[in-house]
Formats: sequence, C-alpha cells, structure tokens
Amino acid sequence: MRKGRWLVKRLIYIVFVFFIISILMFAIYKALPGDPVKMMMSDNVKPEVYQQQYDTIRKQLGLDQPVPVQYVKWITNMLRGDFGYSTEYRRAVKDVIGVPMRNTVLLNLFSMVVVFLIAVPLGITQAVKKNSIFDKVVQVITIVGYSVPSFVIALLAIYVFAIKIPIFPISGVKTAGFEGTGIAAFLDAAKHMALPVLVMSVGGIGSIARYVRASMIDALRMDYIKTARSKGLREKVVIYVHAFRNALIPIVTVTTWWLIGLFGGSIVIETIFLWDGLGKMMISGLNQRDFSVVLAMQMFYVILSLLGNVIMDIAYTLVDPRVRLEN
Amino acid sequence: MQTENKKVLLSIRDEKQYFPIKKTSFREEQKYVKANDGISLDIYEGETLGLVGESGCGKSTFGRTILQLYPQTHGEILYEKDGQMIDLKKQPPEKMRELRKELQLIFQDPYSSLNPRMTAGQIIGEGLTAHGVYKKGDPALRDYVMDVMKKCGLDDYMFGRYPHQFSGGQRQRIGIARSLALKPRFVVCDEAVSALDVSIQSQVLNLLSDLKEEAHLTYLFITHDLSVVKYISDRIGVMYLGNLVELSTTEDLFERTMHPYTNALLSAIPTTDVDDKKRERILLEGDIPSPVNPPSGCKFHTRCYQCQEKCKHEVPELKDMGNGHLVACHYPLTK
Repeated sequence: MRKGRWLVKRLIYIVFVFFIISILMFAIYKALPGDPVKMMMSDNVKPEVYQQQYDTIRKQLGLDQPVPVQYVKWITNMLRGDFGYSTEYRRAVKDVIGVPMRNTVLLNLFSMVVVFLIAVPLGITQAVKKNSIFDKVVQVITIVGYSVPSFVIALLAIYVFAIKIPIFPISGVKTAGFEGTGIAAFLDAAKHMALPVLVMSVGGIGSIARYVRASMIDALRMDYIKTARSKGLREKVVIYVHAFRNALIPIVTVTTWWLIGLFGGSIVIETIFLWDGLGKMMISGLNQRDFSVVLAMQMFYVILSLLGNVIMDIAYTLVDPRVRLEN
Repeated sequence: MQTENKKVLLSIRDEKQYFPIKKTSFREEQKYVKANDGISLDIYEGETLGLVGESGCGKSTFGRTILQLYPQTHGEILYEKDGQMIDLKKQPPEKMRELRKELQLIFQDPYSSLNPRMTAGQIIGEGLTAHGVYKKGDPALRDYVMDVMKKCGLDDYMFGRYPHQFSGGQRQRIGIARSLALKPRFVVCDEAVSALDVSIQSQVLNLLSDLKEEAHLTYLFITHDLSVVKYISDRIGVMYLGNLVELSTTEDLFERTMHPYTNALLSAIPTTDVDDKKRERILLEGDIPSPVNPPSGCKFHTRCYQCQEKCKHEVPELKDMGNGHLVACHYPLTK
C-alpha cells in the first residue's frame, strides 16, 4: 500500500509544480518582444482601416484584457483540452500539432529502437572484452560518433547516400504526390526515414554504448560475479543475468530521458531533412510569434518531464530491490 | 593428525600467478605483479589448512587460483577425482564448470559477494539448478534450501529477503550456505570471518567446524588473524610476498617456529597476560617490498632481523626439517 500512497503524493506535487511553471511560462511569453497581431495582418491595408482591423483581431484573440485575466482564461481552456488558436496557421493548435507530433514520434521511436538494439549488445561485448583491440576500436568510433555534431553527420549522410549513391531521398516525409496505402505507403515512409534515423542513431549509439560499457565494467568487477562463476554457472548466465541486471540502474536513467525525448523534435535534424516535426514547428512558431503553439508545446514538455521523473523512480524499484518508494 | 596414510586431495606444484600491469608508455617492457611466485603444497582430504600472511602477500590469489577463478599463469593444480589426479588448469571450460560443484569458495566480504538483486533463496538455490541437481521451481529445491539455511543458522522467513535486509553475520551465513548447498569436497574460506565482529566470528567458526564434521569437508582457511587460524587449523602455511615460507602442523608451528618471519608474526599476537615478560615483540622494519620487483635471494632478507650475506643472493628452498615441518630459510631458528 506504500506504493499507492507514494504515487498519490507525487501526483499532487506534480499538479503544484505544473501550475507554478505555467504561470512562469505565461509571464515569460507575455514579456517577449514582438506582436502576434501585427504578424497576422497583411501590410497592404490602408492606414485608417489598419487600426480598426488591428483592434478587432486583438479583441478576438483576447489580447486587450489584463494579463492575469488572460492567464486564467488560457489555463482553464488548456485544462479543458483547448490549446488556443494558432496565429500562424489560423487554426486551432490542436489541429495544427497532430501531424508533426506523429512524424516526430515515429522518427524518434525508430531511431531509439535502432540505438538500443545496437548499443546495448555492443557495450556489453566491449565490457566483457575490456581492453581488447575490438574494445579499443569501438571506443574510438563511439567517441567520434557522439562528439561530431549531428549536422555534420547529416550533411555527410546526404552527400553519400542521396547524391553519390542515390538510394535515399534527400529530404521530406513522403514522396510528393504519393497516393499509396498499406505496404506501399509504409515503404515510402521508411525510405524517407532512413537517413534521419541513421543520423540520429550515430550519436545515440555513441553515448549509450559508452554508458553500457562503463556500468557493465563496474558490475563485472564485483565480487558477486566471482560468486556466480564459482557456483559453476554458464558464462552467459553470469554476464546477462548477474552482471547486466545490476548494470541496468544507470541505463534506466538514460532510457527514461530518451523516452521523454521521443516527443521533443530535434530542431537541427528536422530542419536539415525538412522533416515536418515538432522541432521545426517550435522554431517557426517562435519566429512567427505564434505563442499559443509554443506555449502549448512547452506545457506538454513540462508534463512529460514531471511524469518522466515518476516513471524513472518506479523503474528504479523494478531494477533494484534496494530502492524503496518512501515519502 | 598424522601425516602418513592420508589421501591427498589437492596437490599444487610450482603454482605461479602473475598479473600484468598497465604500461605507461608504448615501448615499455610488460611488467607483472608476481602475486604467487612458485607455490607447492599438498592438501589432504579432511584437513583444515590455514594460510596466513600480511595483506598483499598473495593468500587470496592462491585460493582463487586453485579454484581457477583467474587464468592461471604457471604450474599444476592436481585434484583427486575418482582415484585419479587431474590438472584443473587443463580442464575444458564445460568440465571445469561441472567440477565447480565440488570446489567452493566463501568470500571475505559478505557485502559485495552477494548479488543485490537476488533473494537469499535464489542465491543459495541457483547453483543447484545450474548443475541440474534440482529443476527450477521444484518444491523439493525450496525444502532443500530451507534445510541448508537452517543448518547455517538462518530462519525460514529469510528465504525471500534481499541481501541488504540482512546483517553482516547473516550475510556471511548466506555465503556459507550458498557454497555448502552444492555439497562440495573442498572449500576455500577466503577471510571468511575477518569482516565480522568477534562474537559473530566465533559463532561462524563453530558453524564451519560443525559442518566440516558433518559433511567431511576439506578447508583451505585463508586469514591474517593468527588466533583464528590457531583455533581452526590442523596445519598452517605462512606466506610472504608470493611464497610459502613455512608449513607445519599447528602445534609444531607455535612450538618450534623456524622461520624468522613466522616468529615475528607470532610475537605480534596480543596477549592478556600482563606478567608475561618473556615475550619480546619482534618489530619488522620497513614495508612489504613490491611484488613487481621482489628482492633477490630470500625475498624476506630486506626485513629479516638475522639476515646474512648468503640470504641476499641465494633463494632458500622449502626443506623438510623433520615431522613434515617445511621451512624456506638458510638459517632456520632453533629453540
């Protein structure tokens, strides 16, 4: 029952933090320079009509009211599921945000699967064969992988796989004018996703493999590994059951942040590959002073990271019996 | 115990264990820590052989090398199996895995030697399922583990608990129960009681000797605590810097100490007798030399209080001084 009470307490705490952050965020965006109404209006309006139109739009958006009133209105609408009106797209934020979010999650999910499928076995093998030639070579590759900026890798990948050997499209989410369904649509999407996934995976594999290697080396050094060996267990059992399960604790931290990151688009990669995702949306929203979109996204990230922390704490108790959830 | 007509369980011949040191530059010659530098001895079935020496003299390495937990550098470790002596170093991994059932180890540190993610029952039972004694989830396994736990002074309700929920003494009992559950023939007790406080030490020592009588075990008892080793051992070996310097029965070692190093060690045992004026504390000067570049000749000559010219050049052999009392010294003490 302790777990239930702990969870309730944490959730109440999250609600408080959420409101405090929402006030701060709202204040910050209100204080930003730039006028969304001006951005919405076209320039070739006669000066005498201009002021009249300006006032009408301002009133429509509710920007003529005092800031605290605006906040209360905004937050109640948010809680009802109405995220406001996008001044850039002239549609409700809810309708604008759907497709980019799907694209970003899809891209990140694929690269996450690729990263973990490669990085975890790689890190384990490195740790088991510590200081061998294999380990040293892979260490150099991983450090290059995660220290070279992603746009460099992206440009290289485009140059090699889209220009020199044109097997993948340079950019975009799907072929222009493509009208297929089922497998054809999936193949088309996969083809477009290949390069961005590749670029995102390089950095990811670099860092995750290093995490796995380091924590596996720590685990393999422990006396209980000698205990396991002296029991006469098979080497596979020693490595995967005894060592890896204990090496999971730092890996859980990294994985949880990745899971949260699934929803945060990578601004650089999405811009280079013209990937219609959340990262691109955030940048253009900021450029266009489209604060409803940006604020809605920010609040979404706030909720994600608050929940992510709770998930991480619960995950710790699953991998380590010494961790207990207490108030 | 008589030395005659006893069965040799393990016969160790010129065992060496070197560990490479990380090179600081690429062209540097590869150096080694000579943790064990040529040890030969026999272990008889049913005896308790104590092994003493300073920290870092290679006692633990010796115990672990016998059990093939390190890739052995040199020498033979002959183990009696069905009337034949087999060399453990030459066994293929799968065969060695089977032999591990008979050769067990109790660790020094009860805190780091138990997997924190497994319950006591899992820790004790895992070896049994790995060797196919019981099937996983077999109710008989549970009964057997409970039985072993009871023998080692652990209660039934501790079965499902994790190591961090136990005290140091209880953890050490789990370690003992774990190694004895496999019904081994030979157990290396690597500082098995050093991490425990004195009252628990005696409990665990009594437990170990009771279990020995019951299951006809052979112990290699590694410790730096001379009073413990005197209490539990039939024979005692003294190690210095990777070599065996003296080996004899317990009584003989204390009565007729022959090696100056052993003499210095024994003089360091604290006494409660205030009137004991005869006893003179022999203080050894300096630190234990580096096992990377051990001194020439007798390794002990740099600290020996009766060192002579010969000791600096000639390596003393381990000689039998009668009654199975072996000593490696050019000028053994006589009392």
